[in-house]
Amino acid sequence: MKVYCKNIVWLSVAFLSCFLSTILAQEAEVLPEESEFKDPSTRVWFNTYGNIRISKRLFWDAQTHFRFEETEDTPFIGQIGQIYNRHAIGYIYSKKVNFSLGGVVRINFNTDENSTARNVVPEWRIWHQYQFAQPLYSAMIYHRIRIEHRWTQGFEENSEYIFRNRWRYMFRAKVPLTNHKLVPKTLYVSPEAELIMQSGKEVVGSVMEDLRLTTTLGYIVTPRLTLAAGLMYSQGQTIENAGIFKQGWTMRFHVYFSPDIRKVKNKLPAIHLDD
Amino acid sequence: MTDNMFKGFSVPIYFTDKRKMSNTLTKNLLVRRIAILVFTSFSMIAHCQVISYMDSLNVGKYKGMADFQYKVVENDTILDGPFQLQRSNLGALLSKSDYSFLFKGVFKENYPNGYWKFQFGEFQSDSITQVLDYQYILNITGTQEEAEGILDNGKPDGIWTITKNRIKDSELDEVLFKSTIDFENGVPQKSFRIENEGTILVGRFLRNGLAHDEWTLYSEDDIDVVERWYFKDGRLEKIELNADGENKEINLYQSRILDGRIITLDDNYLKILSVIQQSVDTFDLSQSPINKSLAANAGYYGKIDGILSELGESAFYPEFKVKVPYHPIDSLESAQMDSVKTLYQKSKLISESLLNDTQLTILKMADEDAHFLHSVVVAISENFVHPLGDVLSYHESNILQYVPINELIEHAWPNGKPSTEFVVIGQKNENKIFKGPQASDFDFTQNNIASIYKMAHYATLSLDSIQQVLNDKLTKDKRQQEFIALEERIIAQVNQLNNDLDSLSDKLPLKYMKSFEKIKSTADQNLTRYSKMEETKAKTKFGRHLVRCFESMDILTKALAQQPDRMQVIKEKYQDAIWNPFMANIMNEEVKKRITSAYQRVLIPHLLDRVETELDCDNVDELVGLLNNTHQRMLEMRDEDTSRLERKLKREQDPLVIIQLFNLESIGKTEK
Repeated sequence: MKVYCKNIVWLSVAFLSCFLSTILAQEAEVLPEESEFKDPSTRVWFNTYGNIRISKRLFWDAQTHFRFEETEDTPFIGQIGQIYNRHAIGYIYSKKVNFSLGGVVRINFNTDENSTARNVVPEWRIWHQYQFAQPLYSAMIYHRIRIEHRWTQGFEENSEYIFRNRWRYMFRAKVPLTNHKLVPKTLYVSPEAELIMQSGKEVVGSVMEDLRLTTTLGYIVTPRLTLAAGLMYSQGQTIENAGIFKQGWTMRFHVYFSPDIRKVKNKLPAIHLDD
Repeated sequence: MTDNMFKGFSVPIYFTDKRKMSNTLTKNLLVRRIAILVFTSFSMIAHCQVISYMDSLNVGKYKGMADFQYKVVENDTILDGPFQLQRSNLGALLSKSDYSFLFKGVFKENYPNGYWKFQFGEFQSDSITQVLDYQYILNITGTQEEAEGILDNGKPDGIWTITKNRIKDSELDEVLFKSTIDFENGVPQKSFRIENEGTILVGRFLRNGLAHDEWTLYSEDDIDVVERWYFKDGRLEKIELNADGENKEINLYQSRILDGRIITLDDNYLKILSVIQQSVDTFDLSQSPINKSLAANAGYYGKIDGILSELGESAFYPEFKVKVPYHPIDSLESAQMDSVKTLYQKSKLISESLLNDTQLTILKMADEDAHFLHSVVVAISENFVHPLGDVLSYHESNILQYVPINELIEHAWPNGKPSTEFVVIGQKNENKIFKGPQASDFDFTQNNIASIYKMAHYATLSLDSIQQVLNDKLTKDKRQQEFIALEERIIAQVNQLNNDLDSLSDKLPLKYMKSFEKIKSTADQNLTRYSKMEETKAKTKFGRHLVRCFESMDILTKALAQQPDRMQVIKEKYQDAIWNPFMANIMNEEVKKRITSAYQRVLIPHLLDRVETELDCDNVDELVGLLNNTHQRMLEMRDEDTSRLERKLKREQDPLVIIQLFNLESIGKTEK
């Protein structure tokens, strides 16, 4: 974890020093006759998910994502768009149900080359999440409700924070491909769909922030390490105009790790929570 | 015995230190005089002092209450005065039966002197009591022996009677034995009478105790005389007896004895008579009723003589005297008879050991030679050893000089002495001749002690040589049987091993096949080596070694067959169920991977490799031990704190180091 934190600090300082102020033009909020779909942007996300067991019932949810966006000058992987730090303390209610509560700090980078506004601004969130899992034949299906309270600001100097709530539901399945169940050394495929709704004073009409449809191929290396990669199509109303939809294709690369920092004697008995 | 008993009463007398005495001669003489004076006066006092004793006392096997007087003279206990020892136990009588006795008489200067009475009772009781005149009266049933008479300085004098009566309900039921003998100073005189088992023997002695005239035995039921011995001045001329309604006459010393000796009429005399009697097969003198009566009488006298000898000085045994001719034996002959004894003992030992050998009994059925030699041993035993024993018994009893040697030889070999060559019946009923070693050197045709010695010598030599031949045969036969038994075991063990190798290999992964092949080839090689060996002790040893080795190989086979299952067990054992938060399920996580890895990737392959390359009888046990103990250790280490061990195991590839780290070395001590 230390390595990650160091990187984040280093990156933040680097980008701040290269700050070029740009001013984002304000668009008129007039609904078009027909829904307009912007050209899809392409993004590459590198996501790490840490799930660090700290006690019998509690874990530390530590996620760091590096999100790159394509621009005209930087095709394909693009340039860094956001660095995303999501942390929470999770509570294991049962093997199949857990809850989390925590905060997010996201560093947003201005990717608009023409912009003279600030290059990087922080974004703050409080989030809580309710996750339910169900076995289904050899597969597992998951329901995730995630609620975020979000404070964002534009890149303009002295721009005000705006507050929004996000309502997210995700349905995901993990289907083992090379085994009869999800165990180490198993390749699995994971289709998922997430609908992100938003609300807030600033949100006028654009309630569907994002609909994400993803297919991921994963490999369980060990009980504590899983690697996955997937392709996500997403679309959603832009905040400026509910009639205009942004689209995107995102390649996502995931590293899931779950160390257990408890002393050996506390690990026993393993995780038999209900026993 | 009496010495020890009264030690407490002895008076110790100390002489003055010798060094001081040697100072001056005059002083020495003075001290000596004083010492003598003191000693004499104490002796005088001791002489005069008669002490009474009233307590329990053991006399031979008799233990009872004693009441007597004695005095101590020069540290010796001298019985003097009335003596009584008795025992009776009412408790024993009432519960089962009682043995009672009473010895009563008088001692004078340690010699029984005067009237003596001996009683021995053996009674049961019906436990019915009566009270009469302030006394409890109890009826008893049993037998009572009683002896009474006068003793003069320990020797019977006057009439002695010994009776044995059967008592029934405290009344005399039957006289079982009664002897009345008149003595004068221990020598039987005049006539005597012995009643025994329904017979009455009467006879008489001369004044010097020599048997004389007719000794006649009547039966109480029969008017006829049963047996009659005719003596003349102690010389037994003939015996007449009526056996099975037939009168027999046995002539003995018919003519006057010129050079005679006087001996006691006892068993030995009868032995002499049995040689002398002309008609050997007519009568066995030991069955003679007169002899039986005399023997019974001697028994009773012996019993009392035993008691009196224990107490003091006595010569109670009645010496019935007879006269026999004397055939002197010179010192050479006597020495020869001593040699005969040694030879006889050796021969007897050999023949008995051979004749009692079950192995030989079996062998002689199969082996013609063994059968022949066995028959020879039987013949030697009958024709040499037994008769020699008979002759020897005369020497042992010291009566050889009272029998003519040619008659003794005739007595011992009634069918004539055997020759050095003799015939035995072979296995197929054919006649076979045996001739012992150095047969030509032996000539025992003459009837003398030298011949007897030669016979004894020849018998021993023959038996010795036979024993050698038979022992070789027996040892060989025994060894062959051992080999057969051993080989049966080896083959059974090899079969078991091969069965296991075949049946267990079916379920095993290929990598174990080489080990199995090695086990099989090692077993085969050892078996081949065994079969090529000569039948020696080394082969037996190696065979026993192989039985153990194959047994161990079989255990190794089974251990190897278990190995895949064992590895699975270990694999499952070294797993922790952990919760995967991303999958929301339980996954098994391998733990202590360095241990399992060392086990799976180094240790087990190493052990298999050792089996494949260097398996032999010498290390099979060690390999079995390592395999089994490794598994055991793996099971144990799962629950132990192994963090240090795991650190040490990092990248360790040396199986020997791993064996050491796993603490298996103590088991695989022979690891080179």
